[in-house]
Amino acid sequence: MRRQILCLSTKITHNSCTKALPLTRFLSSQEAIDRRYHLFTLEKKRQLDKVGRVEKIEVQYKGVPNDCTLVMNKGISTPYDCARHLSEWHTDTSALALLDGSVYWDMHRPLTENCTLELQHFRVPEPQQVNRAFWRTCSFMLGACATVAFKDTVPVKLHSFPGPDIRSGSFIYDVQLPTLKDWKPSQQELITLSAEYVKLVRQNEPLERLEVSEELALEMFVENEHKTRQIPSIARNHGKVTLYKVGKHVDISKGPMISNTKQIGRVAVVSVHKLNGNSEVNQLYRFQGVALPTGVIINHFAFSILTERAKKLNTVKSPIPKPLEREESESIAMKA
Amino acid sequence: MNQAEVSKLVSKLRINVPPTHRKLRSPKGPEGRIDKLRKTVTGLVKFERIELNYNRADEARQYTERLISEAIRHGDCHKPTMDTANFWLLEKELIHKLFKVLVPRYETSNSSYTRLINAPKPQYGRNIDKVVLELKGNPFPDLINNNTNNKLLIQNVLLDAAKQDYRQSKINEIAKNIGKTENAPLNESSKKPEAPEKPVES
Repeated sequence: MRRQILCLSTKITHNSCTKALPLTRFLSSQEAIDRRYHLFTLEKKRQLDKVGRVEKIEVQYKGVPNDCTLVMNKGISTPYDCARHLSEWHTDTSALALLDGSVYWDMHRPLTENCTLELQHFRVPEPQQVNRAFWRTCSFMLGACATVAFKDTVPVKLHSFPGPDIRSGSFIYDVQLPTLKDWKPSQQELITLSAEYVKLVRQNEPLERLEVSEELALEMFVENEHKTRQIPSIARNHGKVTLYKVGKHVDISKGPMISNTKQIGRVAVVSVHKLNGNSEVNQLYRFQGVALPTGVIINHFAFSILTERAKKLNTVKSPIPKPLEREESESIAMKA
Repeated sequence: MNQAEVSKLVSKLRINVPPTHRKLRSPKGPEGRIDKLRKTVTGLVKFERIELNYNRADEARQYTERLISEAIRHGDCHKPTMDTANFWLLEKELIHKLFKVLVPRYETSNSSYTRLINAPKPQYGRNIDKVVLELKGNPFPDLINNNTNNKLLIQNVLLDAAKQDYRQSKINEIAKNIGKTENAPLNESSKKPEAPEKPVES
């Protein structure tokens, strides 16, 4: 395993495509997570090194306390760095950056050119995009939660999650649990899942974004046949796959996502439904949860209404209904 | 015998007025107290938002409310009102502001003219309640901005969707029942002959 990673890392650092040694044995899920994390960090380092000579860009900040101009590093500085120049409040509450009044940009994505910058938190007058990013992040974190919550004896294969639909009442992750047939989680198990989720949230990890080539993405998700099948259709347009990392968990998503997991406040994983009518993937389970951003104070009764509603099966675009529609729905799923 | 109604003599304030005044100790005695309040009222009318100790703010608030309500009630051609304004506003250009700016602003309002908001206390130091006293409709940004009424906030979107869901389920239920009630009269008509029998049985 270590030999394999070593080989991969030398290939990446030498800036060539990753046609690595074929894996000689099955990866355990923890090994796979470590390997993916390792490849992610290496690729990120490589991309940062590729920036080379540092150039300056001017970022016009608009908003409280006053408009100002920040001189940042091209390809290195992120909106988060801009926020750090302003105040702790800005770094903590900003979930998304708005460039030039139209482009929504991740807080941890390097800026590439002169632009105007607005920082968006959850209480801006028009928070639709921030909400969508929040919901998407919650789905993403649910995948991370599902991978760590089970014992080693239960293999977990992440499938995909559909785009954020807040009005449906719950965020979703579809996960394949090949060894569990007709698993219906007890109340205790759901509480445990929620607790795992909260543990992940409390690690206060930033959500890092990285665009990688199709080959590398395939290499990273080599042990997950669902993702490897989805990657070509995702990469069809640009030849790039957008990855996000939180802690050690790496997953595919179109983004944008919020800045940090500590912006997820109250959260509950409320139900797991088995998806039926699906010939290709057996034992596909839909994990559902509901969450609110940090600082949103809501009455326990109101929150119980939300959790009760989220318990119903969320019928948003089951990602693999029929073989014909599969690719389309997957690309929809990956717009997430 | 012919006692006038109090509300016709003195305009009714829209804030709570305590039964006794505060003394606001001063070496000059009552006169010093009035001087302090005049300064505060003048400051409030001038700056529209000031931060001060609770006691003095609450006291000055009452005088400001009274002054503005008198000005609205009598207008600027009323000698006693003019004298009152002249007494309370130390800077004389503020008299113009009172009649030309504040009166039009509050003429149609049906709540109090000022707002009193608790301010943070210094962590170390004398433990005195601090407040911010402001005229409503001032040009400054809001101090309290918990605008949780925004329908687009995520919690409101979720709750709204839940409400809609609930209503839909209720409508479906009613729709089902309508189908049943159409059948129900038939059942009732068939049952009717049985009903009179019951008393007979008992």
